[in-house]
Formats: sequence, structure tokens, C-alpha cells
Amino acid sequence: MTQRITIDPITRLEGHGKIEIFLDDRGEVANTYFQIPELRGFERFCVGRPVEEMPLLTNRICGVCPEAHHMAAAKAADAVYHVDPPPTAKKLRELLYSAFYVTDHTTHFYALGGPDFVMGPDAPVAERNILGVIHKVGLEIGGKVIQARKAGHTVVEMIGGRKVHPCTSIPGGLTKGITEEQRKEIETMGRWAVEFAQFSLKLFNEIVLGNKAYVDLILGDVYTHQTYYMGTVDANNQVNFYDGQVRVVDPNGKEYVKYNPSEYAQHIAEHVEPWTYLKFPYLKNVGWKGFVDGPESGVYCAIPLSRLNAADGMATPLAQEEYERFYSTLGGKPVHQRLAIHWARLIELLYAAERWVELATDPEITSPNFHAIPTEKPTEGVGVVEAPRGTLTHHYTTDERGVLTKVNLIVGTTNNYAPISMSINKAASSFIKHGVVISEGVLNRVEMAFRAYDPCFGCATHSLPGKMPLEITIRDANGNTVDVLKQYC
Amino acid sequence: MPEGGVVLNSYQAASPNEGGSPARTVLVVGLGNPILGDDGVGWKVAQEFSSIEGHSGRVAVECLSIGGLGLMERMLGYDRVILVDAIETGACPEGNVRTFPLAALDRPGLGHSASAHDVSLDSALKTAEAMGERIPHRVDIVAIEAHRCYDFSEELSPAVAAAVPLAVSSISWLLAE
Repeated sequence: MTQRITIDPITRLEGHGKIEIFLDDRGEVANTYFQIPELRGFERFCVGRPVEEMPLLTNRICGVCPEAHHMAAAKAADAVYHVDPPPTAKKLRELLYSAFYVTDHTTHFYALGGPDFVMGPDAPVAERNILGVIHKVGLEIGGKVIQARKAGHTVVEMIGGRKVHPCTSIPGGLTKGITEEQRKEIETMGRWAVEFAQFSLKLFNEIVLGNKAYVDLILGDVYTHQTYYMGTVDANNQVNFYDGQVRVVDPNGKEYVKYNPSEYAQHIAEHVEPWTYLKFPYLKNVGWKGFVDGPESGVYCAIPLSRLNAADGMATPLAQEEYERFYSTLGGKPVHQRLAIHWARLIELLYAAERWVELATDPEITSPNFHAIPTEKPTEGVGVVEAPRGTLTHHYTTDERGVLTKVNLIVGTTNNYAPISMSINKAASSFIKHGVVISEGVLNRVEMAFRAYDPCFGCATHSLPGKMPLEITIRDANGNTVDVLKQYC
Repeated sequence: MPEGGVVLNSYQAASPNEGGSPARTVLVVGLGNPILGDDGVGWKVAQEFSSIEGHSGRVAVECLSIGGLGLMERMLGYDRVILVDAIETGACPEGNVRTFPLAALDRPGLGHSASAHDVSLDSALKTAEAMGERIPHRVDIVAIEAHRCYDFSEELSPAVAAAVPLAVSSISWLLAE
């Protein structure tokens, strides 16, 4: 008899994701499927529109990281028009993007990934959230989280023209710059953000690294996969979120390839499975060998951990110190333990805050030279940024008027679809054994496998559902319900 | 803990009533994605409501594609908030309009108030309250049943489009209570 367990939807993940776990007649995990809905028709929706609309349109794809889509779209539109934005424009975009990263990574650590550690993976779901964290660690924490978000939103609004959904990046640069008064305010906020990031790392040290059970959980085999790692690096092979080359290292940490974003199609292909509409990107020149680890498998990750693995270091001093401590603590490069993504994310938080200050104190940042007028005929272009959840690629082709004829996107989380699926399978196989009661805590440990990736598939763009339980249905081979477990987000 | 003499309050986000304008105590939010078919109905309703004369001094109207913490942050400082959104229960025909308090939503933390990268609106409001923030004393929802929220389009399907006037009226009725 085959049993079927459905986790639908996943707690704290976008509501329409679903995990199905099939058990064999011995009660062991036979297979797992992580299914997510596909938002349909975006390419068709875009074709026929002027390419300069894309920075505004694409940031509506997703309610979580519109800033990332805005930046990738703007860079792709620059490339379509063959225009190189002036240094001030690039720096302002990166400054906005750094502030966004601080907001985004802060939210993940304190509201999503952190509760598993602060409250513990077995804590009731009603307590395993940001409110629980605040009650346990102190009200002051909540104030800092809200403050960090406010600071990030304020910078996005100052440079991007609007909170959350920026609108100022256009082909060739930006529609506006910043004043000296704004610069000073941005610098003040950035300096506070650096202190906040340091505090967050200290908290991680105390709560997670100071707890042997958590360290064992992180270092254990259950949450470990040996795959390729992708990340954008600058000329010194250091992590950069806004610009650079895409570097991929193999499971041994050796550089496999480094390429310009425009060459992505030579290196990335997509595998199709019959049980999901979403495709699985993989390294084309390694090949698709299935959902397996190792250097022969083209599966790769594009996450905070992979960015650190793919780089030689961080471009800012405090983040570099943490980077070195990260690898010395976890046994050298590359780190394969997926739960270490939480730590890597905090190191990126610190880097983003430091970069925020660097850019806010750059002498060129208040220059009025923030736009280069495009003069060449538009054709085709690729724009790539590191979204918090992975390398984000926008590829546009236009006619000679700049009207879109083709659009292709590889969004951040999609890169990680295969490794997330593998992590779910491994965690489920490890925790769900014959004779083990499938409790909320067991299921949460399965969820932790993908929560570490900070996945996002369409985000806050769906309608209100009437009822959204986390439901685990165990069925026999004939579809008859054997047992149902429910919990609510 | 970050200290170091930085004045944290120097960059507080603008409160809803800054700028010398008359105090606005009510916020109407159209929620959804304006380019995702019927998911954009909340925006259409809010925009339509916004064009009605007579309430502009007291009622602020926003169209947002956010949830959880971000939505909570926009709601702070208002006495009342009305959220207008698509809802997919499958139990009603498309275009069905209902109003109910946030607390009556089957799972108040869900839909647009929850996402992959956020907490539920319910948790977000409780968090804000715990932090001593002034949260709205009343949050109502105007929900329009919609089933076509996965295809990119700026158009509403006919049944959902036909529901917009009733949803707009529902906001007015709620405000009259």
C-alpha cells in the first residue's frame, strides 16, 4: 500500500505551494514532490510594449522583491539600448539595492528562518513566529527589526521614488538624483544598519552557534547537499549584488566557469518534469543527471551560501571578517550544509549595510550626472542582479523602435528548484520513518529544509484564500484517506 | 544592541497625517496585483472609490501589492482600515462581494496578508501592538470572489468587473456605520 502525505500549503511559504510525500508500504518515504503554481503568460503580456516600461512592469511580478526586478529590468534595458549609465547612476542603483537587501535579509532572519532556532523547531506553530521571537528575546528586538525595515524603505523611496515598488530607473540611468541633505540622512541610516547587522550576527552566535543541538542540526547530513554554487562577483572575485560576472564553483569549491551575464544561455538550460509546470535550471555543460549531488550532476544553487562559496571573499572589511570566521568554523570551503544559509544571509546583511555606507559617502553620489541619453538603436540585452533568493536574469529582445518582441526571465528562486526539491526529499526521508509519528515538529523539520532557501514563487500577488491550512493527508493507493493532520499558518 | 549615539528616530517613516493636511483617520487599501487578471480587482475598486467626491478629507486611499509587515506598516496611525481584495473560496460565484472584519476571515493571516517572505497580517499587527505602535482599532475586508488570478492581464473578467460598483458601495456602507 502506498501512502500519500500532502503538505498544502507550506507554512510561511506563499500559500499555493504544496509538498506531497509518498510513502511505500513499509512506511518509508518513496518520493517527494514540491509543486508550485506558475503565473502564466508574462512573456505574452510584455510583448508589444516599450522596453522602458519593463522596470515598472516587472516589479509587479512579485510583491517581495520588486526592487530586484526593477534593477534587472533596468540593466537589461540599458543593454538593449547599448547605453552605459554614468557612475553616479550605477552607484545610486546599488545604494538603493543595498538598502533593500538589508530590509529583505532582516525580514527573513527575524520573521521566517530565525523562529525555528530562537523558538526551536518543536515549538508550537502559533509561537514559532516573529511575535514569539520578540516575546522570548525582548521587545527591543522588534523595535530594531521595524527600524531596519523603515530605514531600508526610506532609502528605496528617496532614490527609487516610491516605497517598495521603485520607479526611477530607466535606460541609461535614473530620472533623479539625491541631495546632500538626503545623502547625510542615508549615511546616518546606513551606519545604524551596520550596527544592527553586527548585532544580528551576535544574536546568531549566541542563540544558534551557542546551542550544541542546533550546531549538530546544521552540520548533520540531513541538511547537506554537495552541488555546484553560483554567484555574481566583482573584478576581485568578491561578492557583489548589483553587477559583475557570474561565477560557478564545483562541489569541491574550484571555479568551474565565470561568464558575462549576456552569455547565460550558453551555460544554463532547463529540465522539464511531468509533475510540475516550473522548469528546473541546471548547468548545461555538466548536464542533467537527475536530482542528485556531485560533480557529475548539473544541479546548482543560487543562494546566500552559494554566493559566499562562489566568491573569494567579501568586499567590505567587517563582512570579510565574518566570512573568514564562517569558513573556519564550518571546516573550510565550500560549505554544503544548507542550514548554514541562515548564517551566510546575515554575513550578506552586514556586507549590504557596509556597502550602503560606502556608497552614501562616495563623492560622486550626489552628482547631477545620473543619466546618459540612449543614442543607439535598441536590439537585445540581458540584465542580471543577485536577488536575495538567487541570480535574477532578464533577457529582452526588441524591434528597432524598442518595442519588445521576446522576453525571458530566470527568477531567483527558480535556480534553486532542483536543490530545494532534493533537500525536501532528504529531510523527509530522514525524519519520516516507519513507526515514527508524523507530528507537527517532524513536518516543520521538513519545512526547514526549504525555508533555509527563502523560496518565493509569485509572492504577495494572489487573492485571499478562504481557508489555508497546512494539511497533511495520508492516503492509501486507492486514494482513501487514512489520516489527516492539519495546522494553520 | 545598536547604540553608538545614532539618533534612531531621525528617519522615521512619514506618518499618514504629516504635511499639514487634515487628519485622515481612515485608510482604504486596494490590495492585489494590477497585472494579474482578477487579482487586480482590489485596485480597480479602490481607484473607483477614490474618484468619488466627498470623502477625500477624511479617507486616504492606497493601492498596494504587499502584505504582512509591509501592509501593517502602511496601516499604522489610522483608526480604521478597509482592505479590498480578491478572494478565492470556490464556494461562491465569481463576482460575489462580501464584507467582514479581519478577525472573521477564516485564517486572518493569509492571502495577500501572507507571502513567502513575510509574516501574516495578523502576526504583523500583533507585533506592532506589542511594540507600542498605534494599530487600527477596526480592520474590515471587502472581498470579491475571483477565480482567475494566475494569468497576466490588466483586464478583469466580466463577472468580476461587474462587481466593482457593488464593492465600491460596500466601502461607503462600511464607512457609514
